[in-house]
Order: sequence, then structure tokens, then C-alpha cells
Amino acid sequence: MDASPVRIQFTLNGQPRSAEFSANTTALKLIRDDLKYKGTKEGCGIGECGACTVIVDGKAVNSCLMLAAQLDGRTVQTIEGLGTPEALHPIQEAFVKGHAVQCGFCTPGLLMSTQALLNENPAPTRAAISKAIAGNLCRCTGYHHIFASIEEAAHNSKGQT
Amino acid sequence: MSRLHYIRPETLAEALDHLDRHGRRTKILAGGTDLVVDLRNGGARPDFILDVSRLSELKGIEFTPEGVSVGAGVTLAEIESSDILERHAPALRKCAFTFASRQIRNVATIGGNVAHCSPCGDTVPPLVIHEARVVLASMHDRREVPIEHIASGPYACSLPPDELILRFMLKPAAGVTFADFQKIGRRRELATARINAAAMARQEPDGRISFFRFSLGSCTPTPYRMQEVENCIRGQRPTAKLIWEAGRLLADRTIAITGRRPSTIYKESAIQGLLVRMLQPLVTS
Repeated sequence: MDASPVRIQFTLNGQPRSAEFSANTTALKLIRDDLKYKGTKEGCGIGECGACTVIVDGKAVNSCLMLAAQLDGRTVQTIEGLGTPEALHPIQEAFVKGHAVQCGFCTPGLLMSTQALLNENPAPTRAAISKAIAGNLCRCTGYHHIFASIEEAAHNSKGQT
Repeated sequence: MSRLHYIRPETLAEALDHLDRHGRRTKILAGGTDLVVDLRNGGARPDFILDVSRLSELKGIEFTPEGVSVGAGVTLAEIESSDILERHAPALRKCAFTFASRQIRNVATIGGNVAHCSPCGDTVPPLVIHEARVVLASMHDRREVPIEHIASGPYACSLPPDELILRFMLKPAAGVTFADFQKIGRRRELATARINAAAMARQEPDGRISFFRFSLGSCTPTPYRMQEVENCIRGQRPTAKLIWEAGRLLADRTIAITGRRPSTIYKESAIQGLLVRMLQPLVTS
């Protein structure tokens, strides 16, 4: 489809950015294909799997269900803004230690959902964790290691504060 | 050749002006969780996307003398965490708990859910039992219509292209002692409803039901308040037998509307079972 250009300004992983793209561009395409933040994945493309989850103004959202234009003026965090390979975020550390990663495709999305959850609720119950990550499908782990790792991350960050 | 334009009006007046001139060639974006899928699969091919997600006139949940006002741009996450709705429209709040996923609830709006006119929209049965009026605006007019009049068929919205939903006005659940929303889907979370339903009741100390409203969703092409079922329960002291019979009646009435289909063999029992499960807390003996 032919589409007219849209220009936006937003904050991506703490850095102010401006971007120009065609009107039908999704937030996922902008982040992953245009700006090359490859940690954000496309799984289903229709909001079922959560592999594209990013945090917008503190809330987990599916970037495949959002137009890039909707990000204008917003603060966006992707997996690249969570930790670095040298300095993992405590949630990432807990996932590694707890064997919560197998193929890894769902992992960035799960980490973003976890980050949004723990920002809102630093000591979630297992039921609250289950609600928060229900929109993130993992076909490898069976979820038990993920639950345990999220609980571990919550426990660890409580100790830090 | 037509080009797709993205437009984000600063004010309601600008939005209505755009719809007045280009409504027929425009798709309204409230959260985008349905529209972006439709754009992707070619189901929607507008010339304009009108992003109303930042209009303050579409925000807010308030208790007013005229009723409970829920802005069309209120997200499902806001509904889920609203104390006002917990008090005055608990079935609506409950429907938000099982609505899609956290990621979608953070963005999707009640106005979008209604205007999309999916027969299985989860916000619709709760709005129906609260006799919700839909407050509409165009450049030239303000009017209200009952929630049942928005959909003319599955995914077919009856509103003219120059109109925008501003908010929903619900009759509060005054004196209600019981309210519930339930749905049957293929899994517990992130499921499209196969069947959904909302009910609220006032049960007197002697067990008699003095007030009862019920709406079944997903099973009929447009929203429908099942008054035959309401009449069957109202004034009674519910027994296991009565709610079983009410469930039978509900299934019969639904099939009378839809005709027998391949799915009827499942839905007939499931509809009855859902009502029985919902009304179980009202059984007195």
C-alpha cells in the first residue's frame, strides 16, 4: 500500500530519537527493521504470541499491534535497553541462572513483560506473574523455569532496594 | 492512486471536522489492536487513519448523576483497575480480567471493542445489562443510542461515517448483590470467546430475586438482552431445577435466533452449562 510519510520524535532506550516512515509502518517494523534493534521479534504478527513485546510509557505492549506513528512523544524501552551482554539486568541474570531460556525466541518479550510487571508490582504472586506473562507464548520451557526465574528476580531486586 | 495518511487531531472539533469531510475513507484508531491487524491482512484499506487515542474528551471513568460514564478511549487495563466500576458496574470490570492479554489490555479501548462489532466482543454483554447508552458526536449533532443498536451484524457497524463514539453511559448497579461475567474460550488466557455472558441480580434476604439482567454474547449476530431468561428468574427463589430450566430456555432461544449449525451440538449444552454455572451462587436450597 502506498502511504504518506510520518515524522515522529520519541525516546528509545533513554536516547531521544526522530524517525520518518510511511504511515502504515508498525512500531515493530520501525524498531526492528528500520532502527535495527533486532531483539524485538516478530512471531505471529497479530498479538497472540508476545515475541514483539516492548514497554511504552511503562506499559508492556505488542509492538506488532501498534503503528509506529503512535510512538510519537512516547518513551520506549526494548530488550536492548534492559541490560548489556557485559552487564545483565537482574531479570536477565535470573533467567540465565534459572534455565528459563531454551530456543530464546520468546525471551526478549518475556523479559519486557517481566520488567513491566516488576516495575508495577515488585513482589508479585505466582498468579500475578501468570496473568502478566499470559500474552507471551513459550513453546520450549513449559513455563516452570520462567515462573521460578521471575520469582527469583523479584526476590533479588527486593534485596537491592 | 490513493495514499494512506495518518492523522492525529489535537482536539475533538478537529477529529469531527475530519470525519465530516472524509469519514467514508477513514478508519478510526483508538488503540489499534484490531485495526492494525486489519491493515496488515488487507481487511481494511482506508485512505486515512484518524488516531483519536489522545483526545481527552474520550478519557475517564466517572460516576455522575446521569449514570456511570466510561469514555470510549478508556483502555481495558483502566477498566480492570477501576474502583468506580468495581462498585457500580462490577461485571464490566470483571470482563477486563480475562480480556486478551496484558499487552493488549494496556492499549485496547472499550470504544474500539464496541465499534469493531465483533459478535464476541467481551465488553458488550456487560454494557447490555447496564442498559448502556452510547454517546455519539458529529460536526452537526450529538445523540445517544442504545448499545444494542451499534452493530447491524457481525463486524458491521451501523454508525454513519461522520460519527465518533464519545462515551458510554451505564445505569449503575444500585442495590445489586450479585454480578458476574463469564466466558468460554479454547484456553483460559488470551482466548477469543466462544460464548460469553454477563448477569447481575438483587437477591432479597428471603432468597427471592427482585432484579435480574442477563445478556449472552458471541452466539447471536448482534447483542441481545435475553428477556425471556430474565423473566424466568425474576421473582423466583432459584433452585437447581430452575436454573437448569433457565439454561435450557436460553439455549432454545439462542438456537431460535441462529438456527441449527454445525456448532450447535456443542453450543446447546455449553450455553446451558454456562448459565447454570453463573447462577449457582444464587441457588437457595
